Amino acid sequence: MARSIGFNLLQVLFVIALAPLVSGVLARLKEVVQSRRGPSIFQPYRDLRKFFNKDEVVSEHASWIFRVTPYVVFVAPIFVTTLIPVLTSYPLFFAFMGDMLGGGFVLALGGFFATLAAVDTANPYGPMGASRTRMVGFLAEPVFMIVFFTVSFIAGSTIPYIVQEHWVTLPEFFAPSHVLLVIAFVMLILAEAGRIPVDNPSGHFELAMIDESKNLEYSGSGMALMKWGGQMKLLVLMCILLNVLVSPWGLAHGQSIGDVLLAAPLVLFKIGLFILVLVVIESSLAKLRLFRVSEFLGAAFVTSVVAMITGLLRF
Amino acid sequence: MDTLMPVLASLNGLAAGVFLLSAFGLLATRQMQGCVRFFRLQSLALVASIFLIAIGMRVPDLIAVALLDFTIKPLLIPWLLRRYVREELFRRREIDQVLNIPSSLLVALALTITAYFLAVILPPAAGSMGNINVPVGLAGLLLGAFTLAVRREAVPQLIGIFAIENGSLFAGIAIAPRLPLVAEMAFPFDMLIIALVIGILTRITQERVGTTEVGALRSLREGGAE
Amino acid sequence: MTLFVILALPLVAALVSSLPLGRRVAPATTLLAAVGAVLISGRAALTVAAGAQVVGVAGWIELDGLGALILLLVAVVGMTAALFSWGYVAREKDSRHLRRYYSNYNLFVFAMLAVPMLVEPALVWTAVELTTIFGIYLVAFDNTPEAVEAAWKYSILTIMGGAMALLGFIVLFRATRFGDAPFTWRGLVTLAPKVSSGVLESAFLLILVGFGAKAGLVPLHTWLPDAHSQAPSPVCALLSGVKTTVVLYVILRMLPILNASGRIDVDRWAIVVGLISVGIAAFLILQVTDYKRLFAFSTVEHMGIILTAAGLGGAAAHYGAVYQILNHSLTKSFCFFAAGTTMLTVDTRQIADVRGLIRTSPVAGTALLFGGIAIAGAPPLAVFLSEFSILRSGIAGQHYVAIGLLAAFIVVAFFGILHHLNRMTFGQAEPVPGDAAPVKLPLSSVLTLIIAAAPIVILGVYMPPPLHRLLQMAAEGLAR
Repeated sequence: MARSIGFNLLQVLFVIALAPLVSGVLARLKEVVQSRRGPSIFQPYRDLRKFFNKDEVVSEHASWIFRVTPYVVFVAPIFVTTLIPVLTSYPLFFAFMGDMLGGGFVLALGGFFATLAAVDTANPYGPMGASRTRMVGFLAEPVFMIVFFTVSFIAGSTIPYIVQEHWVTLPEFFAPSHVLLVIAFVMLILAEAGRIPVDNPSGHFELAMIDESKNLEYSGSGMALMKWGGQMKLLVLMCILLNVLVSPWGLAHGQSIGDVLLAAPLVLFKIGLFILVLVVIESSLAKLRLFRVSEFLGAAFVTSVVAMITGLLRF
Repeated sequence: MDTLMPVLASLNGLAAGVFLLSAFGLLATRQMQGCVRFFRLQSLALVASIFLIAIGMRVPDLIAVALLDFTIKPLLIPWLLRRYVREELFRRREIDQVLNIPSSLLVALALTITAYFLAVILPPAAGSMGNINVPVGLAGLLLGAFTLAVRREAVPQLIGIFAIENGSLFAGIAIAPRLPLVAEMAFPFDMLIIALVIGILTRITQERVGTTEVGALRSLREGGAE
Repeated sequence: MTLFVILALPLVAALVSSLPLGRRVAPATTLLAAVGAVLISGRAALTVAAGAQVVGVAGWIELDGLGALILLLVAVVGMTAALFSWGYVAREKDSRHLRRYYSNYNLFVFAMLAVPMLVEPALVWTAVELTTIFGIYLVAFDNTPEAVEAAWKYSILTIMGGAMALLGFIVLFRATRFGDAPFTWRGLVTLAPKVSSGVLESAFLLILVGFGAKAGLVPLHTWLPDAHSQAPSPVCALLSGVKTTVVLYVILRMLPILNASGRIDVDRWAIVVGLISVGIAAFLILQVTDYKRLFAFSTVEHMGIILTAAGLGGAAAHYGAVYQILNHSLTKSFCFFAAGTTMLTVDTRQIADVRGLIRTSPVAGTALLFGGIAIAGAPPLAVFLSEFSILRSGIAGQHYVAIGLLAAFIVVAFFGILHHLNRMTFGQAEPVPGDAAPVKLPLSSVLTLIIAAAPIVILGVYMPPPLHRLLQMAAEGLAR
């Protein structure tokens, strides 16, 4: 049991430590693809260190929500990490604490607090970004539901550890419901993590921001936590996609510490591949107009429903 | 062979998924080019399914059909369209439709679920691996008809017709994979001639009427004729 | 062998017509080929009526009673329409356009001739599809915006119907898995008792909906008045007279198959769908403003009458149905020749613009009136006889409600047609403005009117015994 708890903590550490690196690699690769040099892949770490060393300024109109939010945003992905397979293919100590819906709620809690905090200050851009985030969230919600329910219907469980075992066999891997669900989920990740074509994470124009404008009022360590939390959220979503939905390939099956440590580079390799896909998507598409976002998510919705229909028809 | 069957069935299911998805795409895309691309994707899914059923159910005739379909539908027909309705495809990029996109998608979803229930009336597929083809093909047929109804322009309407025919064939190869080869060969050629004739008609429409928004053609009506 | 010659004639004519050989070559070849087709198919029909077999390729190309009747009709109307085209289309100045007209005309006739010969349903589908496709150019021939619009509606709706019917034909093939018989009309009838009713039912429904659109059955008839009013008159005669009949023939072929299975009440379907078409068309006739549309709606009405008659069941009703097919094709093609002659004289399609036609052009006026009376079903002309026999057989079969409705709709249509044509032919002609010389009708048009009118009159008073036998065999084909 101690070993199980230990591995669970190891997974959490893995996510906390490597989330900035993943973001750094993504940013760098994107620049390279666009034939620019780009920042070092370790730049997110330097940013975080810089933010932690700075003083924090809090508006005198802000309430306790504004001060609590960075911690909620930082902790929410960590909670989810304990529920999902990051390195091991077998359930760990906390695995049965919550299912995929629970994980979704915890992630949504972070988003909810970020929205409240954006409205909390008197900054005019905050509420604007917050309402846009909510719009995207509302549209993404039904897709999430259908994806999760279809997955759990096919796999017979909503616990991520059990779901992922289902895709091991070859026919199941190529099943239409599986492939289409993965496509729908990738579209969701793009929307939920604020990537192109839904939102431009590197944009600096306040009026066009969706996700980023919520952080405008933060500074110092609060800013660092918000950023770090956002990076971890992206990594956690990637892990759900790659380890739970796509294929559990690369996860540790053995109980020894060596197996688990060996899984880390393999999982990183998978994430690297996905980053390549993400870079291709981001470089080849333009950001959608705000009111076309609904069509993008409509496409994701249709994909997930088609997945559901084809999934149900097989049985 | 027996270990391969589930994989083939899965891949066939995947083709069915792509087929259905591109039927939705045909309905929802805003761009003329997108319409042609989705038609290509749909035809490729059809070809893939014919091919997989040919292997899975050991009907060698179907491989020839798949090859013929492959040359005609995704390659020759878009080429013909590009040749005859070039202006149409490239100058006017965006197309509009009667219903807005989210509501037409909702109607399309309802149609798909209807097709799922209607498929019970049709005879079941000849082999278990084609089970998914019948409802998906029927859905493709209904969605094609719906595309025809909501689109108001010449090329998307033409592609809507092809989508109906694709849907018919998609269900058909599963229901009767051993249809005589002559007949199977006749179907894609028929589509080719349709593409040619309607392509020319579209061009004449463009010349004579000045628009290819065929939904706007209203001069022939009961009592409305001048 | 004869069947191949019949198919080869229009193909050769299409080839010759498309070559640049002078303005008279294309119409002359077309006419020649059409006359040849009439003679040979007439001989084939006589052979069939005498009880002999006419087989091209066994199991693929054969001719039975019903097929021979349709084949003969297509050939005859193809011939008269070719003759009428001679003078009618000659107004077209561009000889390239003219050549294309004639080559499409021949291909169109070729496809229609192929349908009744083919006995393999999947190939029948292909042939029917080809008739639709070759018809598109002919409908758009006038090249006005309205003609192009009509061609567009025609092609979209009918090809859509064809694509839906395709699934029906594929489903039909499934029936061959239930026994050991070839995939032909006859083979399907023998198989039918063993086939699960779901297969036959779904195939029939898909074919009824899909080909119903092509045959102009309500509610998918909307393209028909447009196409049949905008196309050149000889093409209208082909479209209304035989194209719709050929498609309906395919639907009728399904009836004996479903009846043979013994579990599906397909006759009820036929009666309901048929009556809806008759009823709607009869009331639409009342409010038309265009005399070609008038005849087009009358086609919808007659398709409904034939389908209803086929659904009534029993040898007498089936005889009435095939008799009605014969009379409708001959009479309706005459009506469109008359309408075409009127077009040549007054150059308008509007009923309201024509007054006292019988004075301005005695030939056109007489023809139009005669055509109207004939198609409306006045005694002693042919259509009256067939409609009467249908009504009588229906009463004998105790279908009182259906026959009551059918009779009422026929009467409504009768008055609608005559009301409009009466206004056009009689009354005071509007003064012809100044120097406009009276239009001289082409000789070929007058000749066509005489040739086309002859069988209508003759069939009203005398039925040649071989034709009677052929009709009986065709009626048996519906019953099996």
